[in-house]
Amino acid sequence: MNIGKHQALTDTQVMENVRDGKIEQLAILFERHHVPLFNFLVRLTGSRQVSEDLVQEIFCRILKYRHSYRGTSKFTTWLFQIARNAHIDHLRKQKSTYPLEEQWEEPTGPDPAPENEFETGAEIALLQQAMSRLSVKKREVLILSRFHGMKYREIADLMGCQIGTVKAHVHRAVKELGRIYFEISGGSIS
Amino acid sequence: MNCQQFRAHIPDYLLGVLDPVEQEGIQEHAAACPACRAELESLSAVWTKLGVMPEELPGEGLRTRFYSMLEAYKQGMEHAPRNLGWKSLLSGWWQKFWPQRPALQFGITLLLVATALTAGYFLRGEAAHRADIASLRREVNGTRQMLAVSLLEQPAASKRLYGVNLSTRTDSPNAETLKALLFALENDPSVNIRLAAVDALYLFRNDPVVREGILNALDGQESPLVQIALIDLIVSLREERAAAALKHFIRSKDLIPDVRLRAEEGMQRIRF
Repeated sequence: MNIGKHQALTDTQVMENVRDGKIEQLAILFERHHVPLFNFLVRLTGSRQVSEDLVQEIFCRILKYRHSYRGTSKFTTWLFQIARNAHIDHLRKQKSTYPLEEQWEEPTGPDPAPENEFETGAEIALLQQAMSRLSVKKREVLILSRFHGMKYREIADLMGCQIGTVKAHVHRAVKELGRIYFEISGGSIS
Repeated sequence: MNCQQFRAHIPDYLLGVLDPVEQEGIQEHAAACPACRAELESLSAVWTKLGVMPEELPGEGLRTRFYSMLEAYKQGMEHAPRNLGWKSLLSGWWQKFWPQRPALQFGITLLLVATALTAGYFLRGEAAHRADIASLRREVNGTRQMLAVSLLEQPAASKRLYGVNLSTRTDSPNAETLKALLFALENDPSVNIRLAAVDALYLFRNDPVVREGILNALDGQESPLVQIALIDLIVSLREERAAAALKHFIRSKDLIPDVRLRAEEGMQRIRF
């Protein structure tokens, strides 16, 4: 399939085409969204392997449930709803065999400048450790608002709650994250 | 603005979505209330600190797995059975289970033998069978490669895709497997398979024949998606010929802007 010629189509148009039988166009949505989705899941689970498996699972579910797509809300809201459900099912399967903190892997993102490498790597590890101690819901709102540029209204639609609830979660999540970071780093956040 | 209203505005402040009036209210209250100022500074510091967390890229295998799944799903839709009785369903199930290709039949037989011998390994002594296991590994590896090459010649795209995937599971691919992968990259009519071949060849990019093949494959590609994947692969070769190949590609082709940009950025990123 020539993905280039479909670049002008919106996500909603492409998903409607997928729903109506042009399932090869799912490749367009995969190319547009698999990296942000992967990052959402890595920050949520702390595991690259689990996150890759979940991305695959999410696109399988899109195919399976494509007939239920209505196009009334933003495609990304629907996509992240599926992602959240897939993550919840994953947690249920795991039945908390291992504390989340123990499942986090070393980050493998772009290399920092050599002089700051050690310091930045330590900061990232501490932040990941602190994130893993937040509840899943707090982690979700924090990741979606901080890293995915989602407005509180979109997060509220996604989570099926009031916008005020989302803001309260964000406030508490940032505050708690700072406190945990302070505890485990033995210093200040600034 | 009182302390309660101030705290209610902090999430919007962090996201940078306050209107000018609210922004002014926050600043005025923070200047007058040390406790609220301290909280705002602390939360802003955490928010900013989160910026050090890097964006990560998934492994090469994810794209291959996705396109395999998509291709298999399409094949499944095209060949979905309609109104079959239980006898035909049972017969269909058996036909599905037992492949028609002699190469696949041979492969499955070999795997069954391998399983039996592995069970024997545990029933007899350990030392006497190490050589058997090593030999079996070599045989299974060889069989996988033979199957991969055989599958890459099949008319059904799903089978060719499976062939590409199978080739990535071999320890050290032989010349025939590499040749088949390079042929798929240059000639396969399916974009999905050419993309899967790019991902597979990334694993074997240290082989001189593969490097040569990758550098020559760019000119023949018309799909922007394959062009971009191939540009990334060429950049990963980190050699002088890679820069030359990208330069030639930019000059000789009428490229869409995204591909041209990726190739130009790729030239900048190549480090020998």
